[in-house]
Amino acid sequence: MFDHDFLALFPEILLINATIILLIYGVVFSTSERYDYPPLACNVGWLGLPSISITISLVATGAPVANLFYNNLIIDDFTYFCQIFLLLSTASTILMCLDYFKQESLNAFEFIVLILPSICSMLFMISAYDLIAMYLAIELQSLCFYVIAAFKRDSEFSTEAGLKYFILGAFSSGILLFGCSMIYGFTGVTNFEELAKIFTGYEITLFGAQSSGIFMGILFIAVGFLFKITAVPFHMWAPDVYEGSPTLVTAFFSIAPKIAILANMLRVFIYSFYDPTWQQLFFFCSIASMILGALAAMAQNKVKRLLAYSSIGHVGYLPIGFSCGTIEGIQSLLIAISIYVSMTINVFVVVLALRKNRFKYVADLGALAKTNPILAITLSITTFSYAGIPPLAGFCSKFYLFFAALGCGAYSLAFTGIVTSVISCFYYIRFVKIMYFDTPETWIIYKPMDREKSLLLAITLFFIISFFLYPSPLFLVTHEMALSLCL
Amino acid sequence: MLQFIASSHFNLSGLILCPLLGSIILFVIPDSRIQLIRSIGLCTSLITFLYSLFFWIEFDNSTAKFQFVESIQWLPYSNINFYIGIDGISLFFVVLTTFLIPICILVGWSSIKSYKKEYMIAFLICESLMIAVSCMLDLLLFYVFFESVLIPMFIIIGIWGSRQRKIQAAYQFFLYTLLGSVFMLLAILFIFFQTGTTDLRVLLTTEFSERRQILLWIAFFASFSVKVPMVPVHIWLPEAHVEAPTAGSVILAGIPLKLGTYGFLRFSIPMFPEATFFFIPFICTLSVIAIIYTSLTTVRQIDLKKMIAYSSVAHMNFVTIGMFSLNIQGIEGSILLMLSHGLVSSALFLCVGALYERHKTRLVKYYGGLVSTMPIFCTIFLFFTLANMSLPGSSSFVGEFLILVGAFQRNSLVATLAALGMILGAAYSLWLYNRVVFGNFKPNFLTKFSDLNRREVLIFLPLIVGVIWMGVYPEVFLECMHTSVSNLVQHGKFD
Repeated sequence: MFDHDFLALFPEILLINATIILLIYGVVFSTSERYDYPPLACNVGWLGLPSISITISLVATGAPVANLFYNNLIIDDFTYFCQIFLLLSTASTILMCLDYFKQESLNAFEFIVLILPSICSMLFMISAYDLIAMYLAIELQSLCFYVIAAFKRDSEFSTEAGLKYFILGAFSSGILLFGCSMIYGFTGVTNFEELAKIFTGYEITLFGAQSSGIFMGILFIAVGFLFKITAVPFHMWAPDVYEGSPTLVTAFFSIAPKIAILANMLRVFIYSFYDPTWQQLFFFCSIASMILGALAAMAQNKVKRLLAYSSIGHVGYLPIGFSCGTIEGIQSLLIAISIYVSMTINVFVVVLALRKNRFKYVADLGALAKTNPILAITLSITTFSYAGIPPLAGFCSKFYLFFAALGCGAYSLAFTGIVTSVISCFYYIRFVKIMYFDTPETWIIYKPMDREKSLLLAITLFFIISFFLYPSPLFLVTHEMALSLCL
Repeated sequence: MLQFIASSHFNLSGLILCPLLGSIILFVIPDSRIQLIRSIGLCTSLITFLYSLFFWIEFDNSTAKFQFVESIQWLPYSNINFYIGIDGISLFFVVLTTFLIPICILVGWSSIKSYKKEYMIAFLICESLMIAVSCMLDLLLFYVFFESVLIPMFIIIGIWGSRQRKIQAAYQFFLYTLLGSVFMLLAILFIFFQTGTTDLRVLLTTEFSERRQILLWIAFFASFSVKVPMVPVHIWLPEAHVEAPTAGSVILAGIPLKLGTYGFLRFSIPMFPEATFFFIPFICTLSVIAIIYTSLTTVRQIDLKKMIAYSSVAHMNFVTIGMFSLNIQGIEGSILLMLSHGLVSSALFLCVGALYERHKTRLVKYYGGLVSTMPIFCTIFLFFTLANMSLPGSSSFVGEFLILVGAFQRNSLVATLAALGMILGAAYSLWLYNRVVFGNFKPNFLTKFSDLNRREVLIFLPLIVGVIWMGVYPEVFLECMHTSVSNLVQHGKFD
């Protein structure tokens, strides 16, 4: 039994070992007098990258459907694709911040060393099949993130961001844990499969005699999750943390955890608590996030804050697919998250590439069309895609989300989504306006970007533009994922 | 021989890809080799034009089916395909698009000073998107291309527009159009959900309940009425036209303005016949208001381009009246007027562009007595002004005449009120011409005396030929669309 289980956990085992080895390597050599105390961030980064790519190949080659460790973990098609996707996006995040270390002369190899266990915990999150396993994985990931958010110790913003993130993250974890304990207390099981058996055909109403505890449990779990994905009533930490933390951390925060948490949410809510009760909660959060994301971003001048609100808005679109609970809904959610991630990678590559006297305000983009035309074209295409203008990838994701929403009768969601997507266009096209139409007084010349970033930029841009021409692979993959989750 | 080539090697997707290919080639050519960039741009657009003529030659008049049909699978598990083809209604939109793009490129030959390469690329991409819109026979993909014209147009207005107000104009254009068309997206998704397909072949045979038809019709109307533009939502048009560069105005007046009416004709009328019938009074009222109101507004404009823009609004509402008279004459007239308007109003924008390039102003009061310095220009301007007020013999006359004939059969009051528009049209056209061309020359303001150069005359030449040809012998155009239009009328049982 154990050899089979550990065989299936090969990717995670590899990642943990890689973390330990890299940590030892970093600690020993960065304090070595013989080598004159070298800054090792880049080296560790370059070593972290192959360990992730080996993990990807390990995940990709071995994909048996299995339940591991007394049903604590599960591996199926859904986790398979989610994990690959997560690893790919993390690899690209690391790739895009390699140059950052050199430019900023940061001597913090622990960033990479912290990213690796957080990926590992996210892999566990995706494959978690038990409330306790899920909670533990989430905590490990969050702990790494708290440290990463504050890792620029000499910057007040970063420290503040780390503190805020820590307090709110710990609070939301507490809520999540309370929800889990309520569920456990009222049902006596923590395993998702057992829970699914209990919840089948179980009418949860607030005023039902025995089930109010279960209702509260689900509510608390949902709130905990919504905190983590920054959906609206629980979003208040996101803009500050996004703005305060160093840009590469922001990039990492806005890409990787979203995938893992959403995968986890899907597992919990679609598989085990399949019930219309929680849908209303997500309905509300979805509408609120879309509206707030669209309206609040309009007033922002700082790039990272704007991106934070835009990500809140996009997170609002995702629960559209979620709250339907149909196969199309899940599929649309998965499509949307993958397209969203590729667009976000693209934008953050641009933001990271523009770093001369700290690129902070949107207005600093002025005259980019003159000084760096290709970057300007890329950024405008990506923002158009964010805004959901056809024929770019962002449109395809929105179109399928709205289709799913109409398919399950959520007309108000589709309507709000469409109106807010028009409103959000207003600030997305502001990027284009600033780059192309305005003539600023001061021209900021940016350094050319390194090869890794330009490669990433090219790949994601190609994806965004040409996705429309051949969308079948992604549709098929997500369909398979949705099927394996539901059936 | 010619026919053999046309039938064996030419297909519609090639026509769509042709300008796209050109723009991709342009991408890799460095900015400094401007002469090469220009000639490649021009060649691509000319080849595309010739290419599109083959479809006209090869077009089979005797059938109402879609011709040159191609279908490529797009999404698995759902019946959304790249399903393209043309019939008598869309044939001329394709030809008009390819006809106008070389003109746009020639207009910007020397007057464009910044982002020269991007200028060519934007227009070529715009072209291939607009051809795709005209021949797309899948509802969802029609929406996709319908919307995607926004991006190049937004950029064209914003970058090469003439004044600071251009940004506001670009925003207005973008947001108005987008807000209108997202409701169409909802409607399309709804249809997709109902029927499981967005294939036009299937949808034309689907019967929706009347209540549902009305809702869907309104959603489509929200989108198309912005593009047409109908009266409450026409505000974007004068702004966008005034601030756009000359070529931008040409293209805007030529194609995107027609997309709304084309959409009515292609989707609203045949798919929701009962709702169309229900909404005739509504459309007619709006159109009549638009014709009279915008014609009166035109009289009091002081900006040359705004006048032409408002007169475009009036003409396009003429088109909707003809279309919703739902008989063969009316619909054919409306298609013909769309084509004619695409030529005439584009030419007028070119005229204003030529003036603006020389004197850097578009306000009427700075102009006067141009006849003594620019005789060739004044002749051409006169020709198109007369065509704009639909003088018999010009293309607009045929269109407007057929529309009025059609409208009289449906409702004589509407036709009478619409005919008022013709009188007002004459009023503002002649007023404008008089102020600009005759009277005293104002040497304090106008310091350049150069007449049109050879390139500019060359640009006007095909437009003049088109206008006269269409006005004198419209049969060439009518015979292609006749079968399709009568099929449309019979399909909806409108008679």
